[in-house]
Amino acid sequence: MIEFRAITKSFGGVRVLRDVSFAAAAGRTLGLVGENGAGKSTLMNILGGNLRPDAGEMRIHGRPYAPRHPRDATRQGIAFVHQELNLFPNLSIAENLLLVDLPRWPWTPLIRRGALARRTRELLAQVGLARSPATPVERLSAGERQLVEIAKALGREAWLLILDEPTSSLGMREAERLFAVLDRLRAAGMATIYISHALGDVLRLCDDVVVLRDGEVAGAGPRGEFSQERMIALMVGRSLSHVFPVRARRAREAPSSAGPATPAPASPPALEARRVSVPGVVRDISFSLAHGEVVGVAGVMGAGRSELARILFGLVPCDRGEILLDGRPVHRHAPRRRIRQGLAFLTENRREEGLCMEAAIADNIALVSLRRHARGPLRLLDAETLRGAVGAVREAVRLSPAAHDLQPVKTLSGGNQQKVVLAKWLLAEPGVLILDEPTRGIDVGAKSEIYQLIHGLAAQGAGVLFISSELEELLGLCDRILVMRRGEIGAAFRREEFDRERILAAALGEMRSAGV
Amino acid sequence: MAAVADSHRRARTPLLRVLRSEYFVLLLSAAYCAACAPFTPDFATGGNIANVLATLLPLFVAALGQTVVLITGGIDLSAMSIVALASIAGAAVMSGEQGLLAGSPSAVPAALLAMALVGAAAGALNGVAIACLRLPPFIVTLTSMMFFSGLAIALTQSRNIGALPAAFNALGGSTWLTLAIAIVAGAGVHVMLARSLWGRWLYAVGHNPRVARVSGVPVPGVVIGAYVASGVLAAAASVLYTGQAESGSPVLAQRLLLDIICATVIGGASLFGGRGGVLGTLFGALFLKLIDNSLNLMGRSHFSIMMVKGAVILGAAVLDMARSRLEEK
Amino acid sequence: MQRIRFATASCLLAGALWCGCNKTEPGGAPDGAGGAAAERRLTIGVSFEILQTEFWVAALEAFRAELGRRNMLIIEAIADGDANRQIEQVRNFITRKVDGIVMVPKDAKACLPIIKAANAANIPIVLFNRPPDKSDARSVAVVADNFALTRDTVTYMIGEAKKTGTTHKAMLLIGDLGDINAIGRRDGFDAAVNENPGVLDVVARVPTEWNQEKAQAGVVNALQANPDISFIFTSSDFLLPSIVSALTGAGKYKKAGEPGHVILGGFDGDATAYRMLAEGYLDATGVQDVYFEVAACVRAIVDARAGTPAPETIKDPGFVIHRANREKMAPRMWGANVTQ
Repeated sequence: MIEFRAITKSFGGVRVLRDVSFAAAAGRTLGLVGENGAGKSTLMNILGGNLRPDAGEMRIHGRPYAPRHPRDATRQGIAFVHQELNLFPNLSIAENLLLVDLPRWPWTPLIRRGALARRTRELLAQVGLARSPATPVERLSAGERQLVEIAKALGREAWLLILDEPTSSLGMREAERLFAVLDRLRAAGMATIYISHALGDVLRLCDDVVVLRDGEVAGAGPRGEFSQERMIALMVGRSLSHVFPVRARRAREAPSSAGPATPAPASPPALEARRVSVPGVVRDISFSLAHGEVVGVAGVMGAGRSELARILFGLVPCDRGEILLDGRPVHRHAPRRRIRQGLAFLTENRREEGLCMEAAIADNIALVSLRRHARGPLRLLDAETLRGAVGAVREAVRLSPAAHDLQPVKTLSGGNQQKVVLAKWLLAEPGVLILDEPTRGIDVGAKSEIYQLIHGLAAQGAGVLFISSELEELLGLCDRILVMRRGEIGAAFRREEFDRERILAAALGEMRSAGV
Repeated sequence: MAAVADSHRRARTPLLRVLRSEYFVLLLSAAYCAACAPFTPDFATGGNIANVLATLLPLFVAALGQTVVLITGGIDLSAMSIVALASIAGAAVMSGEQGLLAGSPSAVPAALLAMALVGAAAGALNGVAIACLRLPPFIVTLTSMMFFSGLAIALTQSRNIGALPAAFNALGGSTWLTLAIAIVAGAGVHVMLARSLWGRWLYAVGHNPRVARVSGVPVPGVVIGAYVASGVLAAAASVLYTGQAESGSPVLAQRLLLDIICATVIGGASLFGGRGGVLGTLFGALFLKLIDNSLNLMGRSHFSIMMVKGAVILGAAVLDMARSRLEEK
Repeated sequence: MQRIRFATASCLLAGALWCGCNKTEPGGAPDGAGGAAAERRLTIGVSFEILQTEFWVAALEAFRAELGRRNMLIIEAIADGDANRQIEQVRNFITRKVDGIVMVPKDAKACLPIIKAANAANIPIVLFNRPPDKSDARSVAVVADNFALTRDTVTYMIGEAKKTGTTHKAMLLIGDLGDINAIGRRDGFDAAVNENPGVLDVVARVPTEWNQEKAQAGVVNALQANPDISFIFTSSDFLLPSIVSALTGAGKYKKAGEPGHVILGGFDGDATAYRMLAEGYLDATGVQDVYFEVAACVRAIVDARAGTPAPETIKDPGFVIHRANREKMAPRMWGANVTQ
């Protein structure tokens, strides 16, 4: 059992943690929730030996524990499963699991391959992963990699497991599988600290809940005392009865009254796909998206949602079928031309495709729209108008005012980074916005602000295609939901038909919806 | 995360701001001068400063091209062979002995044009191979270095071309004219990097080509542009080097490649792309030339100069690493 | 951590500075910035284009010895094969107000701006071993008399050939004809042959462009076409290994006095030539008298400073070394000294 006793930590006068006390016991799962910046990461860094508290102490099984280095934590049996996984994609599962103490023939540097495979199989069995130990990690899905990380912790005989946003990159089915493994480990006596923004998961999984706000414990107790609403209220310090803003009715009702699942034919749809196919990826995708409409795309991991977005945007060439923007066919291949036609694409892969992490905030925001501010034969930039435009859009997305325009994006929190990506696309004034998991891994406050922005855009006449693994937000935000399964659109639901069970069933393929 | 942003703001004290900027290298140069002057005969004389300037400027112009390419995350190993190729092309046009336009008043402008065209064509070749065939810049420019060098030597049968017009020689020989050319080149590149659409795209491609592509940047065009610019700037450097030596040579400046890359990297350009600027490169070239010059004045042998230069560059790299860590703290 | 890193970097920098600043002059006494001796010692800047063959190393050693003997200071600079770097280094000499400059130019054309700069600064400049192109720049060039020395060497070899009483089929290895030295040597060979008619029948003239592979291929071909070649002259000793390998392949590599010995001669006087001479395979080589050339360079500077300028070209007559005078001349042969 681990106890935190009155942990306090400041960074140069700013108090990040104040008098934080709670305990996590063996055989129980503790959910740690709070907005980004509430102090969760700092607390875990203290637990892991990366930081030292200014005051307070930690005790393990009653004995004082003051780690000075991450390996102290490892030696004490504490294992972290991070948001960005620490696996070597080019090495096999077995090598990843036992990298630090590979079994060797005595007195030689040679690895005992048989023993390695046997030990790996034991560990994989414990997490229920049926994969050959020799499989390279790069061939595993995100969920499987997570299980490998947990197996790694088990291999080190950890008794305390810390999971930081484990489901942020998982589909529904993979998340369920992870929860099953965690339940089993709990039954075997593992203590778990589970950090997540997915409050539903926390309620589903945890025995105890600790809510952090501004570095203090805002609420703690057994799960029974909490509901999602209460957790949100504690996290933000005020009651957020409406995470999802109420939308203007007009945009939503017009299409539903005009006919089933198709918007008013008066003006061409903002985006239309006609029998779009890419072999092995998506098949026969047809839908249309009206101006002012928010259409959600649900589905499990691997159903082809992100792939569809990439095809529409032109990052993956479209083999067959037609894509129309405002009734005109899109340019093939180059995303560049489609952007000029008014298409915008917020990628799920912020780090690798969304932002230049080392570059300044302002440069990132301006990137898509630079062309409009270029003047003269040398295409010199008009610094004045550019700065003005960036400033305006910063306001619009409510980027943290503390962030300086010239600060590198990597210094921002996840939520603010996502706002920068949004700002970048808003500045281009797109007619159609494709959002792929725009709220992944960001806190409730920022999520809510992003929802409002999406509504604002729709109200101004943009069409929004919204891909998400969180059914809650699809239900709360969209006018229609398309459900993808195995590369096809398996079902579609209008707002008045929204039903959690049926959508889930359509996504998982257990039941065919009549609403196609 | 909020804490990181806070500490970042606090780090903007004047000292740190200097440490983080390209002026750091200038400070380093000044410190080096101060440390060396007492031991180095005739270091701080007007004549010597003119010397440093005369040798610094061609290096600076050549390093400008390398800066542009490094910003995209590439590298141009063929820069010096483009210098040589342009050198013999220009000399072949205007040489008083065997030039195509020997003695004609239009010889010098025609030669300059020919040099620029050779530079641009060679750069375009590199750029197209890298951007369109998706080959790694290192391999492309390594092979094109061999090709251009071989071509230059084959075309001239390894012989120099002399008897260049005096007006041309002055471009490299007169420090004032050289200075003027370097200022024009430096200012031009600076404006393009800092103020133009292309410059911004260049940095974006260097930071992350995938992000740039997704954001609608014409990545291949930007990359080809960078290599063409590198080729043209190599040709400009070739004008200075050729004028200085008063003869076109197929092996001109053959061994300066590492000096150029060093100057650029000391000046703050990153081999991983996304960083670099004209001012930094200027200071980097200055630093390198000061080391060369001072050790030369001290009468050190070529080999000890190389050793000391290596150590100093390593030291500068370590300092650079330290200050970027400091920046992140 | 930060402090450690800064300390490391500072140490590196300081160390580098120390290396640069603290070493004593290779010429002898330290050169202290203001160390004004009662009687000022002359300082000579010596700039070599490159330092990669034995010849240049031997020459630089000779300069150090000669200037030391005359109680002068030497500043060395090696341009590493780069004409522009050489310009820069000689300019540095001028900045340091050296009393004279000796230069091995990278090439005959790119050295002209350097000579002009030295002229402008009124510093005497001497070109060692390579003459500049024609121009109005004033300099002294000390060069081997390629023509005369080759003629003498070949004449000696012809004398050896006459002793056998038969005519010999001869092969000549020609250098790069863009090089004035190579032309001089070819002409010297031809002159010697013409002066002694009836002894040699020149059946092969192999162009080498100063390239060992080309030389070897050329010699092998010539030996195939004329297996009875028994007289070979190479325009440079550095091609000797190619000839040896071709002769060995044809079974004709024999010592003097053995039946089937090929009369072999060369030019330069390098270490290989000395060894082959000592072993009896080589009959003669024309030696560039490095020590004479070095002394002439320094003398030319001293004379120029005294107001009696030397002629534009000083010719090194060199000497022919052969088996008979080997013992006596070896000390003056640079190739004999680099091996020891």
